[in-house]
Amino acid sequence: MTEVIQIHNVSVCFANIPVFESIHLSIANKEKITIAGPSGSGKSTLVRCIMGFVPIATGSVFINNVELTPRSVWRLRAQMAFVAQEPELGDGTVREALTRPFSYHANRHIQYSETEALRLFDHILLPCDLMDKETSALSGGEKQRVALVGALLLQRPILLLDEAASALDETSKTAVRDFLTDRTDLTILSVSHDTRGFAFSGPVTDITRMTRKAAS
Amino acid sequence: MNATDITDAQLAAAYLLLLFPLAVFLWYGVALVAESLLSVARMTVQLLFVGFYLQVVFQWNNPWVNGLWIAVMVIVADASIVRGCKLRVRRFALPLALALLLGVLVPLLLFLLVIIRPEPLFDARYVIPIGGMILGNCLRADIVGVSGFYEGIQKREKVYVTALAAGARLHEAVLPFLREALEAALRPTIATMATIGIVSLPGMMTGVILGGADPMTAIKYQIAIMLAIFTGTAITVTLAIYLTLGNSFTAYGMLDKDIFQRKNAQN
Repeated sequence: MTEVIQIHNVSVCFANIPVFESIHLSIANKEKITIAGPSGSGKSTLVRCIMGFVPIATGSVFINNVELTPRSVWRLRAQMAFVAQEPELGDGTVREALTRPFSYHANRHIQYSETEALRLFDHILLPCDLMDKETSALSGGEKQRVALVGALLLQRPILLLDEAASALDETSKTAVRDFLTDRTDLTILSVSHDTRGFAFSGPVTDITRMTRKAAS
Repeated sequence: MNATDITDAQLAAAYLLLLFPLAVFLWYGVALVAESLLSVARMTVQLLFVGFYLQVVFQWNNPWVNGLWIAVMVIVADASIVRGCKLRVRRFALPLALALLLGVLVPLLLFLLVIIRPEPLFDARYVIPIGGMILGNCLRADIVGVSGFYEGIQKREKVYVTALAAGARLHEAVLPFLREALEAALRPTIATMATIGIVSLPGMMTGVILGGADPMTAIKYQIAIMLAIFTGTAITVTLAIYLTLGNSFTAYGMLDKDIFQRKNAQN
């Protein structure tokens, strides 16, 4: 199996205070792994590092064997889909939020499909009439699932989930997990503080065991 | 064709008008007496200086001196934009000065070369007041536009990051914030144009009428200046945002928080 994401010896600091130090992680193609850990242990920061949203102090990140650098970041981001914790969908209706990314140059090769969007809605228990609702009127759990649909519509091989099911009830959580588990085409990295509620059947790693945390 | 001059004694009499607002403040205990007196003193001193300088500049009426006057006004406006936006001076001063200069020069040159065609072309009587009016509006628009743009991205960083994650390049991810900033910066000029003449008689028109011109001439000047102001503000805000973009984001496309001045202790 080829490694899709490799993290070598990565450390991150905020205002000179280390968030984590010397993390190593490899994710093989089509693997679905879950990273657990208490709040504040740097799980979100790790995912944001992979997306190039957080500067790394030392070490390096490789996506499909290409190092994440200021030059490569724009191309590499287009290979990953990311669902943030408490996602913000921007102004307008759900449909507008879902179609907006298709206007970006990086996504010109794919087209928005309402049928596909509604099929995904159905799988993760979202009602079809949500499409015309204003994003500001959605509940936290609805926002998370709409953001997930938006990420999946971009047809990217890697999916990064940051507490992506934290606002869902048990039924929806199970639906989302089962649906993603069946997507054998995707490589998924999910971070969650509540791995009993939301984890894949693959390896679950505790972030505190991946790292030499700053002298605490 | 000249307005009646005001003698020193008559001007002194104008200060008597202050008795009314000051009496109201004192009677109702409004804490504005000292501030009002200070502001009136500042206004008097500043305008006396400007009057003195302008007298000299008008006497020389040299295109280079007039150009230098505009340049000095641009630098002063530049400094107050950087201060007004609470941004780091070193990074923003040059791109903002360029945005202001072009925002003033493009409509001003059109005004002089196409619309009025005065003789001499760069006559101080036209260059300085018209340039000043356009610049004043550019200044206000840049403060609203530039601070609205960067503060918008800072406040709604999640929306910005979502766009980046979905594959947006920098110029695609900033687009909604650029639209909002332009709207906020240009809306006041648009609103002024919609109500001008009904709600208030604009300053320039008053000036032209006092100068002895026909009211029809005055409104033609006013229409031309409003169009020049609208054009100038649109040019300057767009340029101000585009010219500062390159210096305000990290290599990974994230907003560089160092562009903002350190917040005061009270915040």
